[in-house]
Amino acid sequence: MSIRIMSLSCLLMLGLASQSVSAEVEEGAHDLSVELKPGGSVSNADGLAAWDRIYAVVSHPRCVNCHTDEGGIPMWTDDELGGTRPHGMNISAGESRQGREFLECETCHQTSTRPNTMPHAPPHAGIPWQLAPVEFLWFGQDSKTICEQIRDPRRNGGRGGRGLVEHITHDASLKGFIAWAFDPGGGREPAPGTLQQHLDDTIEWVAAGMPCPQE
Amino acid sequence: MVELRVNGVVQQVDVEEEMPLLWALRDALGITGTKYGCGIAQCGACTVHLDGRAVRACQVAVGDVGHREITTIEGLGTPESPHPVQAAWIELQVAQCGYCQSGQIMSAAALLERTPDPSDDQIDRVLSANLCRCGTYPRIKSAVKLAAQRLQGG
Ligand code: FES
Ligand code: FES
Repeated sequence: MSIRIMSLSCLLMLGLASQSVSAEVEEGAHDLSVELKPGGSVSNADGLAAWDRIYAVVSHPRCVNCHTDEGGIPMWTDDELGGTRPHGMNISAGESRQGREFLECETCHQTSTRPNTMPHAPPHAGIPWQLAPVEFLWFGQDSKTICEQIRDPRRNGGRGGRGLVEHITHDASLKGFIAWAFDPGGGREPAPGTLQQHLDDTIEWVAAGMPCPQE
Repeated sequence: MVELRVNGVVQQVDVEEEMPLLWALRDALGITGTKYGCGIAQCGACTVHLDGRAVRACQVAVGDVGHREITTIEGLGTPESPHPVQAAWIELQVAQCGYCQSGQIMSAAALLERTPDPSDDQIDRVLSANLCRCGTYPRIKSAVKLAAQRLQGG
């Protein structure tokens, strides 16, 4: 993947609910184009449509399989394995979510920005492999539940709308897990769409005030 | 040319950066105590330490090792002065064919470094990813417990 170095400190306008705020956002190296929209510039209906596309991504196995509950067991999805099942090898990521109490995720999942090429080998990304924090539970959850978690700063790592957008660009600059989901390699099915579309949908959803489905 | 620090010795290796460390150790450096079983992190036979942490050498690109210290079974102890895990393995005669055992020992040594008094569950979970076709698991578990005791002065 070609990497384009974006300007270090661009002034970005990002809308939060009905007010728009200006903020200096520091960008690292990634190949995404970030075009923020003022708050209120997107209708509720378009925001909900953007959310549906976001949900199609965040409910995909490449994402949910490491957003599991306090049991700390990652999941595997593979048609050859008959669908989705707990990670083999008696793996638990423990309370640390990184396997520190047992077998560290990094024993097999290296931290590396090299492409994932080997079928059936453990995937790697540019940040240490781990489960998402337990409050980011997505596995087996419906659209409304995940939507409400993602927009709740008490359960999303303290992020507002701008923070959610930065989360994606920051991850992309590190070749982290969000970027990996769209390019998992090794014959794995990627999350639907592209990382750029996912970023655009998130910007759209945020500018609409982060609407969630009612049921 | 890639520089690797293996068992305390700095080595220059003329291989591609993408080459898995396991291949570099065995084929380029002739350090063959680390075994090849699957090449896809399914068996644990290739386990070595990077700065004391267990990793599957078949999954580490040589170019990603950087300045980290690589320890293989040859560098863990010596015949005259075996590592306590190696000593426990000998005392309980754990090995059958032996093929998986350097990986088992490296995993066990890294576990005890981090968790000096592991529970049965911790031993099971850590070593479940090290396969043994000969089925030496009960002796492996006993040897880990014996080594833990010794390391704690028991
Ligand atoms: S050869 Fe590396 S885990 Fe099997
Ligand atoms: S001793 Fe033979 S495979 Fe383990």
